[in-house]
Amino acid sequence: MIKIATDSTCDIPADIIKKYGITIVPINVLFGNETYRDGVDITPDQFYKKLVESKVHPTTSAQSPGYFSEMFTRLSKETDEILLILFSSKISATYESAVQAKALVGDICKIEIIDSGQACGALGLPVIKAAEMVEGGAKMADVVAAVKDMCLRSHAYMVFDTLEYLRKGGRIGRAQALLGGLLKVTPILTLRDGLVTPVQRTRSRTQAIDALVNLAKGANKIEALMLEHATTPDDLEILAKRVAEIYPREKTIFSRVNSVIGAHVGPHVLLMSIIEGK
Amino acid sequence: MKQSWDGKDLRDMFAAGSSWLEKSVEEVNAINVFPVPDGDTGTNMLLTLRSVIEEADRATDTTVGVMAKAMSHGALLGARGNSGVILAQIFRGMARGFDGKAQFNGIDWADAMVQAAKTAREGLSNPVEGTILTVIREAADSGRQCAEKNPDDLVAIVGETVKEAGESVARTPNLLPALMEAGVVDAGGQGLYILLDGAMRFLKGELEDLQFRKPQMVSANITATRNVNMASSEEDEAYGYCTNFLLEGTDLDPEKIRRKLEDRGQSLVVAGDETAVRVHIHSYDPGGILAYATALGTLHQIQIQNMDDQHVGFKEMRRLKALPTDIAVVAVAFGEGMIKLYESLGAVVVKGGQTMNPSVKEILACVEAVESDKVILLPNNKNIILTASQIKELTKKSVEVIPSRTLPQGITALMIFNFESTLEENTLSMCEATKTVKTVEVTTAARSTQVRGMKIKQGQAIGIIDDTDLVAAGDDVTDVLMRSLDIGGIEAVEMVTIYYGADLKAEQAGEVVKVLGEKYPGKQIELVSGGQPHYFYIVSLE
Repeated sequence: MIKIATDSTCDIPADIIKKYGITIVPINVLFGNETYRDGVDITPDQFYKKLVESKVHPTTSAQSPGYFSEMFTRLSKETDEILLILFSSKISATYESAVQAKALVGDICKIEIIDSGQACGALGLPVIKAAEMVEGGAKMADVVAAVKDMCLRSHAYMVFDTLEYLRKGGRIGRAQALLGGLLKVTPILTLRDGLVTPVQRTRSRTQAIDALVNLAKGANKIEALMLEHATTPDDLEILAKRVAEIYPREKTIFSRVNSVIGAHVGPHVLLMSIIEGK
Repeated sequence: MKQSWDGKDLRDMFAAGSSWLEKSVEEVNAINVFPVPDGDTGTNMLLTLRSVIEEADRATDTTVGVMAKAMSHGALLGARGNSGVILAQIFRGMARGFDGKAQFNGIDWADAMVQAAKTAREGLSNPVEGTILTVIREAADSGRQCAEKNPDDLVAIVGETVKEAGESVARTPNLLPALMEAGVVDAGGQGLYILLDGAMRFLKGELEDLQFRKPQMVSANITATRNVNMASSEEDEAYGYCTNFLLEGTDLDPEKIRRKLEDRGQSLVVAGDETAVRVHIHSYDPGGILAYATALGTLHQIQIQNMDDQHVGFKEMRRLKALPTDIAVVAVAFGEGMIKLYESLGAVVVKGGQTMNPSVKEILACVEAVESDKVILLPNNKNIILTASQIKELTKKSVEVIPSRTLPQGITALMIFNFESTLEENTLSMCEATKTVKTVEVTTAARSTQVRGMKIKQGQAIGIIDDTDLVAAGDDVTDVLMRSLDIGGIEAVEMVTIYYGADLKAEQAGEVVKVLGEKYPGKQIELVSGGQPHYFYIVSLE
């Protein structure tokens, strides 16, 4: 059976990872000289506490090609086919690193690597769908085509209190245009073409949650939905109650924004990921 | 602690710095807007540095004086583009600083950097602030100050140099309008920062970082003041030919050559000594330049590139950075602060308002001037709504008018603009948004009158809601404001934004905010200098 692997920015809850036997590649998050593997050496609680308290701004770093080639070799003992789905190559070297590793290991088994152009739930939701397809006996080519298609219809809408973390981390992308404004703004950003891209500006968190609800209402048809927070479970619940009128709560996946994305977006991010219908 | 370093260490520092820069070449290229937006600064710096390291590898003498000289020679031979030539000057200055020394310590480094900054400036006919020149100078000065305190601590001094270089880069848009307009930092400065950062990491022994991580780009803490809602408004100017060559000979006089070429093109850099001079110039007549130089000596590494070709590639790179909307917003606004605010939110502003309505012609000119074929108009005044509506028939562009009657209504509408939605969807949601805001304005009565039983004397302060209802009058501006806010329903809203006018001081307005903050805890209250004439206060209640 096809083995599915992804990276720690996918925010797939532990029970689903376990259910489908998904392999997770931890991305590194660094505070100065201290390196932590996201989700392995550091939990979100520990991370966000450190993020607020630490004087050093955290940075992140991709896994090395060596790590990936070791992983491919290990997985190749269990399967003939590996499908690796990774977060946007425009904001991380992870994808490049994996592609190099694939060249290193040669023909040990069939390896497909997909650059999702996404992160967080917008990466996690297509990965879960892929796992379901594999469970149902789908062929590699079909799964790959479906994942690529879903990644294009997958959107992570993120509410920001401040763009300072994005700016410091050098991932501000097209949201550069929102910097330096004269009013306090609570923007909603997403990943488009793999780059951080503004969707809308709002003036407050209340307005931002309204805007998220409107984005959900405006979606063609919701095929899958994930809601996430970093350190604000109450805001998540307010959002969840309102989104429940549009998409059934029992099908909604709830999760926590990982440390790697957290390092670049800050502790107050609120996130809604949707796979939009065709 | 290691106290002294030799030429090999210097070489290894810059070799590490070059590899570090190599990882971010594309990013540096992408922000290149000055002097010509041709998107090759990073590449040019890297190629120049490769030549530096090649020459350094060939050097057999490892005293720092000789090594720095070899590196400087390498830079001169390999210099490419504007930034490469300036980099060559930096290495030349550094070699001057290290001249005759076998080894170097912290203070020697600091001095060499100061020399480098000075020499870089001397190489240019027209030094411009907000570029790599500013960055190297401020970084060198900062390193020098640090060296006063710890002359032997090279790591600390280089660390300080790098830190200041980063901060200096972030400030470049404040010095150079071209950067401010594009919303980027200077590319050459960014490249220099990364180079020095790599050198520092090597000194600190952070070899794994150098191998597996990528440099952090410095971002500007400013917004692009124009073009935000527009796909692009680059003018299709011709830039001529980028001409670059090495002149070898005897008794060459770089200063004389510079004077001779000054009027023959732009971005002129002349660097070198009696035996070799590197020339970089943007000119429409590369032939004439070469003819002049041939008379002085022999020409090597001649490179002539048509910059229009380079510009095409640059445009594609910028496209990826642009906002995903093809809709422009044109707003009518007045008051310095108000205009800045609208611009910072991405609108193109036509000046005008209450007492000076812009003509159809003025608004039309602006609509035609924006790059986009789809335009949303924010008239922000009831009289101008009519004027704006006439634009639709006068242009081929698709124009929608949001019936905004006040400046706060326009701001709320502009805020809700969705970068991914269509013209129709945005028009609809922006119209709706204007209804969610209540505007309170405090101005002066133009004449004595009586309204709904209120007797108003000319010159008194009056409070107006939504540009129609006169609700309060009196001699005390603050009192009229407070009463008007009460009537406007401040109690029920979440957000209060106060734009104070040109006739008020920030402290007076600040006092009002303090009082409101105490009276209504939990509300988000913001104070902005609107700078508008005639209106003491314009307040938005949302």
